Amino acid sequence: MTPLAAESLGKRFRRGWALRDCTLELPEGAIVGLVGANGAGKSTLLGLATGLLSASEGSVEVLGRDPRRDPSVLGEIGFVPQGAPLYRSFTVADTVAFARATNAAWDADVAGAFLSRLDARTRVGALSEGERSRLALALALGKRPSLVLLDEPFARLDPLSGREFLQLLMDGVTELGATVVIASHVIADVERVCDHIVLLSEGHVRLAGNVEELLDSHRLLTGARRPLGRIRGVEEIVRERHGGRQLTLLVRTDGLLVDSSWTVDRVALEELLLAYMAPAELPTTRVAEKVPLRWHG
Amino acid sequence: MAWLTWRQHRAQLLGGLFLIGGLALATLLSGLPVRNAYHAQALSACLPPSARSGCDLIVRHFESEFVTRRQLSRALVVLPALLGLFVGAPLLARELEHGTHQLAWTQGLTRRRWLLSKASLLGVASLLGACALAGLAMWWRQPFDAFEGRISPRAFDIEGIVVPAYALFALAVGILAGLLLRRTVAAMTATAIVFAGVRLGIERLLRPHYLTPLRVSAEGTIPSSYPSTWVLHDRLVDASGSPITAGREDLAILHAQQARLEPHAYLSSLGWHRIVELQPGSRFWPFQGIEAGIFVALALLLLVATVWLVRRTPS
Repeated sequence: MTPLAAESLGKRFRRGWALRDCTLELPEGAIVGLVGANGAGKSTLLGLATGLLSASEGSVEVLGRDPRRDPSVLGEIGFVPQGAPLYRSFTVADTVAFARATNAAWDADVAGAFLSRLDARTRVGALSEGERSRLALALALGKRPSLVLLDEPFARLDPLSGREFLQLLMDGVTELGATVVIASHVIADVERVCDHIVLLSEGHVRLAGNVEELLDSHRLLTGARRPLGRIRGVEEIVRERHGGRQLTLLVRTDGLLVDSSWTVDRVALEELLLAYMAPAELPTTRVAEKVPLRWHG
Repeated sequence: MAWLTWRQHRAQLLGGLFLIGGLALATLLSGLPVRNAYHAQALSACLPPSARSGCDLIVRHFESEFVTRRQLSRALVVLPALLGLFVGAPLLARELEHGTHQLAWTQGLTRRRWLLSKASLLGVASLLGACALAGLAMWWRQPFDAFEGRISPRAFDIEGIVVPAYALFALAVGILAGLLLRRTVAAMTATAIVFAGVRLGIERLLRPHYLTPLRVSAEGTIPSSYPSTWVLHDRLVDASGSPITAGREDLAILHAQQARLEPHAYLSSLGWHRIVELQPGSRFWPFQGIEAGIFVALALLLLVATVWLVRRTPS
């Protein structure tokens, strides 16, 4: 069953569209990196997928069901919202009891694996960020979910805790066979583990696909500076960069590149994603406008 | 869910228990001297006060002796509102404020069931607390009620089944305010304003007309007391029944004085008399039933609206 499918999905807040024309389908069992700059619509997409937000247009289906109309699907989604909100006055044991009381399919063994290093009597408010993230993850995975959604899980973690969190996550989901979506604005965090990428930019899906296929279909062309025309084998120039008399192009290919006047290189995932994340026009060519902070849940 | 409700609201529940315990103690300590005085002065023999000669004086003395306590006891009217402020308003506002609704609303339990089970458990606790409160007030006021009745607001508002009904209403107002305003302090403020507004509005505008008031035509021009009743209007009218303004009354008295007549006898001779509209004390329970019904219905209406809204709330 498709873990997450969206069809022309859009969400408008009072201040404008946070997400628009979002059509995507995630493959089952994939580890999906949902990347994009801050305010690109990542949290909005996850909010729509968990029924916390209602779509302004289009539709979203999670595990074949509309999370708004059929909230029973929420029992099969493990969601860790941004900042991993937990009840601060609860102890670790209380928090686990909360999850057990609100989920029919609660699996204490799965959750227990994450909690072995936490003292059950500690208050959540007294835990470190790393410990809190681990507890939130235990809550999400203890439901034995088919789909795990994590919103900026690394934002408050130091690199070491981040790596540890990722390890725990991968161990957990491998056992469950769940599909995972990790939303993050830091590409380095997701590129280690993701086999699928969804890239949002200014509320639109700019790129979606399997990592291998994306890397195979993009190339870096380096050559002497020249007026650009149609290059054989190039479908789209994603980014062009001038350095002196040299020209570097990041292109999407649709065939074999045979033009010998270009040096052709493979592109690293991080560079590819950054190129797509950049706004269509460079910031310098645009009059700076005040963009109000967009609140997205 | 009972566990979750208890875990999240145990501080409030324990606080409520302490409050009721403290009030029970205060009621007992301040109520016993009143009862002792009641028995020592054999006031029960003065029912009704005109039963024996001298009773008027004894009763008036008894009532004035404990006037401070009686003023204080009226503060009990605010307690149901506190429930809305401290239990109802934070229920959703705190979750929305801290973002924990994202946790609570993405579990296997639907929002509707989550809210309904919390609201119903807290509602039952509130009912029990409010019943205890009303019981205390009724025990404390018993000696006074014997003479004054309890249909007038000072007794009506803190006795009987309206108290639990007010409590439920306050709770429901608080929960809805929390959902709409999403901030605890704002929700508390709104709850206080709405609760006070509705409570006073109904007391002033609706309650006097639950049943048609009795009209008593009184001889004489001095207001007299009507024990065990709630006097709504007490107006001086002329022979044709149209009300007399204070200015006209003053003028007439002045005129009588200049003519060296006894003013009241003079006014009576003009055919002036008093029209009194009142609700008799015997209507206490019907009035309690009507008012409690109104507030319970309002509370249920608000709860239904909250459940409807919480399912549709985009966060």
